[in-house]
Amino acid sequence: MKKFEDILAQCIEDIKAGRSSIEDCLDRYPSMREQLEPLLRIALEIREPPDVKPSHSFKVRARVQLMDQIHGRQAVTKWPWFRYNSQVKPIPYRRRFSMVRVILAIVLTLSAIGGGTVYAAQASLPGDALYSLKLGTEQAGMMLPGDDAARAERALNFADKRVREMAALAERGRPQDLDLAVEKYDYALNMTLTRIEQASDKGLPTGNITALVAEATAGHLLVLDEVWDMVPDEAKAAIAHARNVSETGRENALATLAKDNPVRAAEMNLAAMEGRLYRVRVRAEHMEAVEYALQQFEAMAEFGEEISQIAHEVDKDVAMVEELIALATSEHVEELAEVWEMVSEQTRPDIERAMATLLIRYQKRVQALEQLGVEAPQPPVIPEGIRERVEERIREQERTQEQQMEGVPG
Amino acid sequence: MYQNRSEGQTSDEAMLVQRAIGHDAEAFGRLYDMHIDRVYRHIYYRVGNETDAEDLTQQVFLKAWQAIDRYKKTASPFIAWLMTISHNLVVDFYRTKKDKAYLEAEVLANGSASSPEQATEASFEQQRLRRAILQLGGDEQQVVILRFMEGFEFAEIASLLKKKEGNVRVILHRALVKLRNILEKEEKQS
Repeated sequence: MKKFEDILAQCIEDIKAGRSSIEDCLDRYPSMREQLEPLLRIALEIREPPDVKPSHSFKVRARVQLMDQIHGRQAVTKWPWFRYNSQVKPIPYRRRFSMVRVILAIVLTLSAIGGGTVYAAQASLPGDALYSLKLGTEQAGMMLPGDDAARAERALNFADKRVREMAALAERGRPQDLDLAVEKYDYALNMTLTRIEQASDKGLPTGNITALVAEATAGHLLVLDEVWDMVPDEAKAAIAHARNVSETGRENALATLAKDNPVRAAEMNLAAMEGRLYRVRVRAEHMEAVEYALQQFEAMAEFGEEISQIAHEVDKDVAMVEELIALATSEHVEELAEVWEMVSEQTRPDIERAMATLLIRYQKRVQALEQLGVEAPQPPVIPEGIRERVEERIREQERTQEQQMEGVPG
Repeated sequence: MYQNRSEGQTSDEAMLVQRAIGHDAEAFGRLYDMHIDRVYRHIYYRVGNETDAEDLTQQVFLKAWQAIDRYKKTASPFIAWLMTISHNLVVDFYRTKKDKAYLEAEVLANGSASSPEQATEASFEQQRLRRAILQLGGDEQQVVILRFMEGFEFAEIASLLKKKEGNVRVILHRALVKLRNILEKEEKQS
């Protein structure tokens, strides 16, 4: 005779598979009806857990930390590509701002695509029936043989496509499909960084690909600006996420590049800063856009300090990096002075604060250059009227800094 | 409709698992990509909050990598093996709460903003069941979850728990009886 637990299990299997009903089972085992029925009903009530998904940022962060631990590295906040071994030749000093033109060319090309016709002809978009097929094909492409750098480049190419898709979706008024494009962009960029990390772990040169990532992501930021302007408020959170992903990827690529080629890293960072100033100029009448672009600009300027620090740590091209940053900082102050004239009175304090911060940074660079025995570039020329206001902002910042210092215990 | 969600491994996954066993970090990273959602969902169901679910999910994959050599000795799907690691970590997690006050507070709570119930607007009955399931003992809870929620076969569960299939059925029977008692008691109290 069958044991009760076997009968119970068999009944559950049969009912769940649709082979019989509760009544059928109970009729089959009438002597056990009373005992069997409540247990069957409970078992059949138990369903799959709710479809709760982890956040994308958690998945990326946890993956990076997992790989860190697998490779026996200290977990760090930045993408950890160590043992960087570049074969990239430094860009000549006189070409230091050529990257701006490259980036602007990218954004202008993308902006010139009207109505999304090119995209329509080229491929499906998130939300289209064939889109999963497209992603499947790309996934297969990621599996193609090749060294890690080649695979990283392929993944970066897919990240590029996702940004183009976002632009196309925005142009076509389909903000509801942006989330998927952003999610896949995050994934593709993460895959790019992971491949680079693997190449780096194997001691392979990664200089070219890290430079490509830095360049591409700076371009993405410009395209995302355009997308941001086009989408309704409810879709802006997705684009904000894409911007963060892009900026994180850019910084990490540059941090790695800086270890081997700090001059090129500094040039690329300055080019990206130019991109932000471009944004400030073209959106001068929109206070919110200007504020956001200024925030990004200042974060990039801060990151320039990190590149300078890396140059000192690796003791490579220190004077050239300092000189480059000093010169660019001086030029940026002058550019912001021009922008100051273009923006509303409400926005001007933000511009003044950014100029003040830049001037403080410029002074630091000058001091560093003096210590290195290198002549500092000419200080920026600031029109009267703006100068006084900026000087007042500098005094404000110094006072704030003093107060903070006094507030520090011990 | 009831579906068996274990369904074995695809050939791609089997290949990745083989590479991961050979300590290929890239392959393991791809297994992570494939399974993190399901592992997280499983853990979230059991701990009921995002912070602990994230922390434990990370630990699952790290432990899996550290013990990957042992996986080849089992015949279960890779995801089932991850579920076992998840289970052990969740058990340890509650054990470290010493007096189980944490568990009881969580289980008996009427739900919070971050609870899976609210997140998915699950029915009241499902909430009651979840609370009851979380009060089961280790093996009982695991068998119920693996069989009814994750869709594993008795043979797979037996392999994972290193028990005979007959014993797994006994555990399931015991678990269902306990669930009935818990639910009846709750009804009387209310």
